[in-house]
Amino acid sequence: MSVIELVDVVKEYKSGEELITALDDVTFQASHGEMVTIIGPSGSGKSTLLNMIGLLDTPTEGAVQLNGRDVTDCSPDELTEERRSEIGFVFQDYHLLPMLTATENVELPTMWEPTLDKHDRAVDLLGRVGLSDRLSHQPTQLSGGQRQRVAIARALINEPDVLLADEPTGNLDQDTGATILDELTRLKETEEIAIVAVTHDEQLVEYADRVVELVDGTVTS
Amino acid sequence: MAWRNLGRNRVRTALATLGILIGVVAIASLGMATAALQQQATADLQGLSNEVTVSAGPDHSHDGITADQVDDIETVTGDATVVPEKSNVTTLSARNGAETRLRVTALTKADAMYNVSRGQVSNRLRSGALLTESDAERLGLEIGDPVSYNNRLYRIQGILSSSQGFGGGRRELVVPMSAMAEQDHYDSVTVLTTSEQSVESLTTDIESWFNDDDEQIVNVRNFAAVQQNVDSFLGTLQLGLLGIGSISLVVASVAILNVMLMSTVERRGEIGVLRAVGIRRGEVLRMILTEAAFLGVIGGILGVVVSAAIGVVIFEILVGSPLDAFSWQSARYLLYGMGFAVFASVLSGLYPAWKAANERPVEALRE
Ligand SMILES: Nc1ncnc2c1ncn2[C@@H]1O[C@H](COP(=O)(O)OP(=O)(O)OP(=O)(O)O)[C@@H](O)[C@H]1O
Ligand SMILES: [Mg+2]
Repeated sequence: MSVIELVDVVKEYKSGEELITALDDVTFQASHGEMVTIIGPSGSGKSTLLNMIGLLDTPTEGAVQLNGRDVTDCSPDELTEERRSEIGFVFQDYHLLPMLTATENVELPTMWEPTLDKHDRAVDLLGRVGLSDRLSHQPTQLSGGQRQRVAIARALINEPDVLLADEPTGNLDQDTGATILDELTRLKETEEIAIVAVTHDEQLVEYADRVVELVDGTVTS
Repeated sequence: MAWRNLGRNRVRTALATLGILIGVVAIASLGMATAALQQQATADLQGLSNEVTVSAGPDHSHDGITADQVDDIETVTGDATVVPEKSNVTTLSARNGAETRLRVTALTKADAMYNVSRGQVSNRLRSGALLTESDAERLGLEIGDPVSYNNRLYRIQGILSSSQGFGGGRRELVVPMSAMAEQDHYDSVTVLTTSEQSVESLTTDIESWFNDDDEQIVNVRNFAAVQQNVDSFLGTLQLGLLGIGSISLVVASVAILNVMLMSTVERRGEIGVLRAVGIRRGEVLRMILTEAAFLGVIGGILGVVVSAAIGVVIFEILVGSPLDAFSWQSARYLLYGMGFAVFASVLSGLYPAWKAANERPVEALRE
């Protein structure tokens, strides 16, 4: 069964008088233990699609299902709860909070209900991405690859079913990129999560189980 | 977390804190200044607030209160101390040629009526006299020196502080009752109430004893009404000063509003990340309100410290006892200032917090 499913999704943006159709009748799904990459030219709607999958934005038309449940008409607060428990985000430029340590950044999604086991889990996750010796470093004291790994650990803190990544290797060199991708592949298998990644990177495509190509807001393959 | 966010832009935080500090200082020190005035005024009136003065009324058959009437007053007033006095005006001249014109009061029980700044007051004065300080200075007289009144010599045994009591600057020579033996009647009788007696009821008691609807034998006065007037004046003054203080705290709130608004706009993307990873709107709201409250608390504490110092100086100058600044009458303004600071900070953090919490995360993340 698919974790996340988009059915006939249309997303339109109004900018002034003009109506931009960012996604035009897109159907998409991702399953447990599967890595899907989304490719396509700039402006083709990749980020928009990722926002739909991540429940950050709601479609103009069509339906979104999470674990078989229709979440299209959920309120913003309900969507926040779903994101909190089911979805992990890895942003292109990491978006770590500069005044927090690596561990605190990983704990961030649980910051307002901190529990001891979340702290332990944060430390454990940082260990798994190879950062045991960087627990109390601040983002500025970490390299790009290390920051990306902190971001991945943060995305996993709430044991999500879906991990979303926008250009996860975009700012990294080949070798670091490969390490991160190995990491993701391992997580996909051990945690049984669905990974959806947006990329221009050929390397990432090689790691993918499935590739979805977007052109002008429609899926071509 | 909120704490560290504030630490990120120290200059801005410091400026906001300074704004609150000034607001708190304005409120607290103006409040404490009125408390000091109040305390001083109460102290000034203290000597008068337990006095009832009886003098001859328009329908009196003599030109003063008679000895019999003094006895009557004593009967009516029970435990109160009754001090009859005679008064006159005289000119004192010193050997160096200086002259001064002043009021002469002759009485017994001088110790009940007067406090001296130097020397001492004995009950009957015998052949002693009391003189106000300014006149003693002018005439070059000291304790132990003789003064002459009505061709008799009296030795100065005490110096009265000139500013004592209400209407400072009085000039007075106090002599024994015997000095005015040739005057038959008393010009006035002062009744000093005991702590259990009410000035108002004694006033009515004396009036109803001597006077009726047609005849006003005696005039009876007390200073309770004066005290009330002074109190209500001070109340108005206090409101005015606190109003000025509040305005400065409003200005401080605007400063906080600005700081919080700037910092939330600056952290728009960050707050978007928080929302994206599942932080609830209420939690974002709470975080920013906590920052604002922190600003209020820090500014408030600093403001209280500065105001306390100012309060000590004010009390030193106005009352002469700096530690009275920490009596509840005055110290409560520190509390008000603190409370107002936190309240105003949270209030002005409300809009930026609400704005940040309700931003759609997609928008915030697209920079
Ligand atoms: N909030 C918005 N308001 C108006 N138009 C938008 C908005 N977000 C996206 N668009 C438009 O929708 C289209 C798709 O944008 P999107 O960001 O999904 O592209 P993308 O494939 O991620 O591009 P890139 O590879 O450059 O990141 C673009 O034409 C863009 O201008
Ligand atoms: Mg994009």
